[in-house]
Amino acid sequence: MANHDLLEIRNLKKYYSVTAGLLSKKAGDVKAVDGVSFTIKEREILGMVGESGCGKSTLGRTILRLEEPTAGEILYKGQDIIRLDKHELRELRKEIQIILQDPDASLDPKMTVGDSICEPLVIHNIGDEKARAQKVAELIQQVGLDVNCASYHPHEFSGGQKQRIGIARALAINPRLIIADEPVSALDVSIQAQILNLMVDVQEEFGLAYLFIAHDLSVIRHMAHRVVVMYLGKIVEQASKQELFQNPLHPYTEALLSAAPSFKSKGKQRIVLQGDVPSPLNPPPGCHFHPRCHRAMPICCQEEPELVEISAGHFVACHL
Amino acid sequence: MGKSWLRVYIIKRLIYAVIIALGILTITFVLVRVGPSSPADKYLANLAAKGQDIAQVTAAIEARYGLDKPIWQQYIDYIGNLLRGNLGWSFSTSMPVIDLIKTHWIYSFQLILLSSIFAAVLGILIGIYSAVKQYTKTDYVFTFLSFIGVSIPSFWLGVMLILVFSVKLGIFKSYYDTALPLFSLENLKALVLPVMTLGTGMLAGYVRYTRSSMLDNLRKGFITTARAKGLPERTVIGKHAFRNALLPLVTIIMFDLGSIVFGGAYLTEIVFGIPGLGQVSFNAIFAHDYPVVMSITLIGTFMVLFINMATDIAYTYLDPRIRYD
Repeated sequence: MANHDLLEIRNLKKYYSVTAGLLSKKAGDVKAVDGVSFTIKEREILGMVGESGCGKSTLGRTILRLEEPTAGEILYKGQDIIRLDKHELRELRKEIQIILQDPDASLDPKMTVGDSICEPLVIHNIGDEKARAQKVAELIQQVGLDVNCASYHPHEFSGGQKQRIGIARALAINPRLIIADEPVSALDVSIQAQILNLMVDVQEEFGLAYLFIAHDLSVIRHMAHRVVVMYLGKIVEQASKQELFQNPLHPYTEALLSAAPSFKSKGKQRIVLQGDVPSPLNPPPGCHFHPRCHRAMPICCQEEPELVEISAGHFVACHL
Repeated sequence: MGKSWLRVYIIKRLIYAVIIALGILTITFVLVRVGPSSPADKYLANLAAKGQDIAQVTAAIEARYGLDKPIWQQYIDYIGNLLRGNLGWSFSTSMPVIDLIKTHWIYSFQLILLSSIFAAVLGILIGIYSAVKQYTKTDYVFTFLSFIGVSIPSFWLGVMLILVFSVKLGIFKSYYDTALPLFSLENLKALVLPVMTLGTGMLAGYVRYTRSSMLDNLRKGFITTARAKGLPERTVIGKHAFRNALLPLVTIIMFDLGSIVFGGAYLTEIVFGIPGLGQVSFNAIFAHDYPVVMSITLIGTFMVLFINMATDIAYTYLDPRIRYD
């Protein structure tokens, strides 16, 4: 595994301002992503978990600049993505691709599958017509579909097949990094494993890095090399997969792990989180997690904990 | 994928069209004839003034046009003539109906065609712009104006336009001048007010529908992936969002086309004195000129049936998921 950073994110923030009333007075900010920093190395799969609404997807979209970040830096191979102009941004699109959660909605229903996969090649002027057609056929076979599929329309495929097409589409221009935004959560469990294995296979074959966003810990355990845990727009814990699953330090991570179904958890006491994620518009003071934390201390509702390195590569934001 | 099933479908639709047309024809035939007055009434009023024997003249006229026969006999005669391509004789204008239609159809055609193009092109462009710039000031202005446009009745708008642009400002003539050559700027200028009258309601509707249909599609995942592919924004909107937004629009535009053939164009022609089929039909109804009323109804029926069929066929090309077998 190459050791230099492919993507480095520094203190990234994405706020949505909320307006209220007739005169559109600014009522506050929704801090969807609030000061997040992490890195992805080449050929690394970084898993990202968190509950719904914690800012995972916004983060993914912001990295592609499908959303404009409010503050912070996104360094891709040392180059700040946020400062790119339109033309440079288009070049970047060759390097970073996205796979979305809903395979059905992410394919244009009016285009044949072949055209959808081919479109990025046309846009970026890669190869002539014959070379493109060959590339499309290759990709379709690589994701385990029949070559004839190219001339069909998306509605003629099942969900799992559509996600395979989504993967082929993302691979078409040989990206280095793929942002997979809950790529299997819309699929049947039996299909999930197939798609995950396919993603691991192409990762090895193409030498890709993934930012793998999921809310399912067993999926993360299967895929990721390192894991980032997010809560309300902030990273609460970050560690290698083994470290995180064996030695979770943040109470939120503990709760997530204990909630995940597993054969070994019999007899172990489950930590059940009370209530919902608080509104990111008005997050609780101090540690955002303290109202739901089973180990909250007085300090937790006053001071916000810093993300500190406890052991090599294991970061946690908690007063414990 | 071939579309061999499409030919079978078209043939089926044509057969239905003939049956439907026959039904409408029959209903119209009965309706105009059960009315209390006779086409001879107008002559009679004149002749009575000249001191002629009314009963005798009535009988003579009715015999001349076959109106003394029982209604079923008249119906069979009419259908028979129709099948031989004979649309009948217009009592009130004293000429064959076919000639009457030949001289007047072009005025209706140009009005309907120009109004539809005006409304569709402008409506779709404004709608797309509004959707892309959602919640900006321009969007609010367009949305507000389109609500007004949808609510205005066309005959009132026509009168108002005449009042402002011809009476007050004197830019356009209030009356359509038939002496103008068809393909000339003057003719186009004469049609400005009628086209605005007929087109504004449709235009406003298309703005609303385009906007909402575009917004629906712009939210979809394939728009995100299209952007992520590195497509220029114009391609994302034009190719991916608009192509998918087009289907409901085609439905509405074609539906409007069908309904103005029968409704809006009549009123506009009468307000502006355009001698199109609407005007002819309007006069014929008051003159009890049965063959003219029947023929124009028949033409309208076939137009609507044809437009509906064209719409259904267009669907199969716009949306590959639609099949009719």
